[in-house]
Amino acid sequence: MNVKFLNPFVEAAYMVLESEVGLKAERGEISLNRSAYTADDITVLISLVGQVKGVVLYSMSEATAISIVSAILDQQFEEFDDLAQSGIGELGNVITGQAGQRLASAGIESQISPPTMIIGKGTMVSTLDFQRIVVPLDTDFGPLQIHLALREEGV
Amino acid sequence: MKLQVNILNPFVIAAGEVLSSELGVNIKRGQLRLHRETHISEDITVLISLVGDVWGVVMISLSFETAKAIISRMLGEEVVDFNELAQSGISELGNVISGLAITKLAAAGYHGDISVPTLIVGKGSKISTFDIARIIVPLDTDVGTVSLTLAVKLTPKKTTKASSWQMG
Repeated sequence: MNVKFLNPFVEAAYMVLESEVGLKAERGEISLNRSAYTADDITVLISLVGQVKGVVLYSMSEATAISIVSAILDQQFEEFDDLAQSGIGELGNVITGQAGQRLASAGIESQISPPTMIIGKGTMVSTLDFQRIVVPLDTDFGPLQIHLALREEGV
Repeated sequence: MKLQVNILNPFVIAAGEVLSSELGVNIKRGQLRLHRETHISEDITVLISLVGDVWGVVMISLSFETAKAIISRMLGEEVVDFNELAQSGISELGNVISGLAITKLAAAGYHGDISVPTLIVGKGSKISTFDIARIIVPLDTDVGTVSLTLAVKLTPKKTTKASSWQMG
């Protein structure tokens, strides 16, 4: 697993959370995981295909997701309805898109897939033989995690 | 939404061919269903994303029992637990089906690529593909039903990634 994928995602997440949500994020301690991820309430899954391939997961509690979406749309959400789901999916999409552009600037081209959302705590999500780097981000709305199960193609 | 049968059929045909050759039996296709509500997961879901001319997500869902029976037959030995080998085998099955479908699509003039598979284990979670409607194709085998879920569409005209942000 290559750490050079890490910074583009962390920088993109900082930037998007600040510009879209008005939220400052602080990175916690990074860990490397070989085992399957046991899902939090909400997980956004986006695949990368190209010179870098694999899966990126964004996970958070429902309370954090509702706070984030309420801030994005400037409207208080009580439940994690379709609109809220769409907002969180789009947040993952924008962070991944920004990270993809940063990787492209570094000469690593990739395409990102549409987002998929998994709702349900305790589900097991396996990236199989791809190790996961887990980046915890602390925010005023609670913790978010970015999981990077990525590999550079042909290296 | 108008269904684009020409991009769906390659997946249905590929899944039938791969399952039939791995299991050595004929596969019977059940009734297709269009599904707009959130997908509720089966025991096992293999998820593969598509990028390129055809865009979306393919999911292959099955029960633990069916998965173990398929892997047992593929390996020629009884698999009792849905262990790492079985997980890898079922993911590879999804990979082979999607890869074959992509080859068929390319022959029809649609070029694309598939992501690596992700395996989701746990019944009852919701899996949302957002605004991409899903077609569910049940494939009946002699060891149970394998459901193919297709949330795929032709790629819209290129927009820059940053401008896809339309909330707020």
